[in-house]
Amino acid sequence: MSYPDAATAPPDPRTHLTAERTRHVLGLQHRMLAEARAFLGARGFTELLPPVIGPVTDPGGRGAKQVDVDFYGHRYKLMTSAILYKQASLLGFSKIFYVAPNVRLEPLETTNTSRHLAEFHQLDVEVAGASRDDVLGLLQDLVGHVVRRVVEDAGDVLEALGRDSGAFADLLGGAFGRLSHATAVETLRELGHPQSADAEIDWAGEAILSEKHARPFFLVDYPKGSRGFYDRESTSSPGVLRNFDLIAPEGYGELCSGSEREYDYGRIVTRMRETGENPAKYGWYLDLVRSGIPASAGFGLGVQRFTRYVAGLDAVWQATAFPKLPGVVSP
Amino acid sequence: MFPPFEEYGTSLFGAPSGVSPDLLESARLVPPVFVPRRLEKLIELGREPLYGDVSLSTSIGGFASSLPLYLSAFGSTRVAGSGLGAAASAQAAWLGIPMVIGENVVPTHGHGRVDGASAGTLLERLRAYADAVPDGLGGVVVQQSTEDADAEVWNLVYSDPSALPLLESGRLAFELKVGQGAKPGLGGMTLVDSSVAASVASLYAVDQSLGSGVLRSSSPGTFTDEILRQQIRLMRNNFPRAGVWVKLPPGRDVGVAASVAWAAGASAVTVDGAEGGSGWAPLSFAAVGLPLAECLSRIGTPAGCLLASGRMWEGTRVAKVLALGARAAGLGRAALLAVDTDPRAGLVRFVEALALELRLLLSALGQYRADALTPDDVWFPGQAERVAEGVLS
Repeated sequence: MSYPDAATAPPDPRTHLTAERTRHVLGLQHRMLAEARAFLGARGFTELLPPVIGPVTDPGGRGAKQVDVDFYGHRYKLMTSAILYKQASLLGFSKIFYVAPNVRLEPLETTNTSRHLAEFHQLDVEVAGASRDDVLGLLQDLVGHVVRRVVEDAGDVLEALGRDSGAFADLLGGAFGRLSHATAVETLRELGHPQSADAEIDWAGEAILSEKHARPFFLVDYPKGSRGFYDRESTSSPGVLRNFDLIAPEGYGELCSGSEREYDYGRIVTRMRETGENPAKYGWYLDLVRSGIPASAGFGLGVQRFTRYVAGLDAVWQATAFPKLPGVVSP
Repeated sequence: MFPPFEEYGTSLFGAPSGVSPDLLESARLVPPVFVPRRLEKLIELGREPLYGDVSLSTSIGGFASSLPLYLSAFGSTRVAGSGLGAAASAQAAWLGIPMVIGENVVPTHGHGRVDGASAGTLLERLRAYADAVPDGLGGVVVQQSTEDADAEVWNLVYSDPSALPLLESGRLAFELKVGQGAKPGLGGMTLVDSSVAASVASLYAVDQSLGSGVLRSSSPGTFTDEILRQQIRLMRNNFPRAGVWVKLPPGRDVGVAASVAWAAGASAVTVDGAEGGSGWAPLSFAAVGLPLAECLSRIGTPAGCLLASGRMWEGTRVAKVLALGARAAGLGRAALLAVDTDPRAGLVRFVEALALELRLLLSALGQYRADALTPDDVWFPGQAERVAEGVLS
């Protein structure tokens, strides 16, 4: 049986799991995670096991729905991301990471973007006392380390997957550039793409920017109103967030989001209202924040998206053993 | 303090007429002698125009509508949940007018996804509407309050297959409920049984016993100009394919709030006059909030699509708010009464009567389009000079 292409739904589990291509991809992913753990361990990070359910989770954005869990009669949520727990964990350790499973019931329009899964994993990193520059440097080093090890140690796998390792020459050869959200909006409008200045770069716009770059780059300074309450608002430029996305070149698009975090109680409650959240449901988190949590910065790197980029896959579902596309009933 | 609790669930509440000065009631529509738009219509038709030549189709908050009317939210009022909501949905759809589904419908009646569409659920109303609406007309607007945010009503609808036909045809919007006319400054209120009260105590305030029931109160929500602006932007960011409506209470700063909403990208702003509302409200709130006419006056010339609601039960009142800047009028209590009278066709008959009245009134004013009325078409007692200027200009 020939292996289906990205335009079709994932095949049945046996076909998918026994395909040589899948085994190459998942083997490569295993290697990438091992390298990421080694890199972060050498930098003094502690790996913690992530929570899976909680009374609240990351409110997220772009219309994704959370999954409710009946926890002894209380409405709990599956983690859409463990951001609130990452901040809390810094009370015990100053540099932490998770390899965290996330579930987001994405809008059905994402089924065919080639880059959305309803269930996926993030390499979730948080650093107490860090600035955005600190974690941008860390993320660039982390991505560079993993890609370098793959290129040097697993060239045969890349070749078997049809991925030209020359695609990473620029990535390994220099620093990732930075593009502000405002500049990105301007660029897209000049190219005839109607990008809103108040919103996240839409998927089509992101693909355009991604195609124009030869190495990954950082999109920074999103406007308030496009992201969650925990992304820190600039004190010198109100309305601008101290956050970023890492965008892969060649049209692969966003791999990672991160930011400096809000940690001041009053600012967080106000930002919760600005994002339409009900502070009452964040009781445990706000209690912690009120009595003090460390300032921090961090990011979540999508494991399947990173794998897709390194392996040169058509679709992100090919980088997971049991793919769950938005709205598609699957094992 | 409250209406008799025995009537809860069987009666519709709302401000009795005459409690507060209702300037709209005392205002008059004032047809001119000279009618240049009628001459234009005469030339177009090649015969004298009649009321049947008035076109009432218009655009409401990004939706094409057959009439300058939409169905307002009934909220979680128990009366609205007992099958009448779905009956009203189907009739609004058949008429080709937009419909708003109220806040607290999900926490109160459930969303109807996994368990099937049981009576009163959000998705039942949505499907009833989608099944009956003609191509290219109407649209559904889903409200979300602070408590609804916990249930992620918008996210649910945006990712639900049953909403897809409306979403893909540009006929889905979300309404941010900043407040309401019947009790400005308070959140939604309903009476629930004491057994229900215990189960919702973590979401709502349930601290007042009234007769055999318990008062369940939503929070009014905290808004500043920046909170309103950012919430609208986040809605546009998170739901790029849905419109954004904003419902304002009859607050004294309603003009500023409307400007903030339009500047942030709202596709429609609804102002609910103090005359509005079909739900449970403390009697003391009969004297709270600006009358609709004053709200419209404070908003002035709208910078975007303005919608008005509050005791819209006959055509003259609708025509007056259209003349004072509104693109359309919201039908609330009157629509529910019509559906209750005849669940099969009550709303259709009521709206058809309104449409006939509007055609008669607009043609009398020498206008033939729903959006053609101006403040000159309305006279308020004591403002004779305003009309004079209009006629002379």
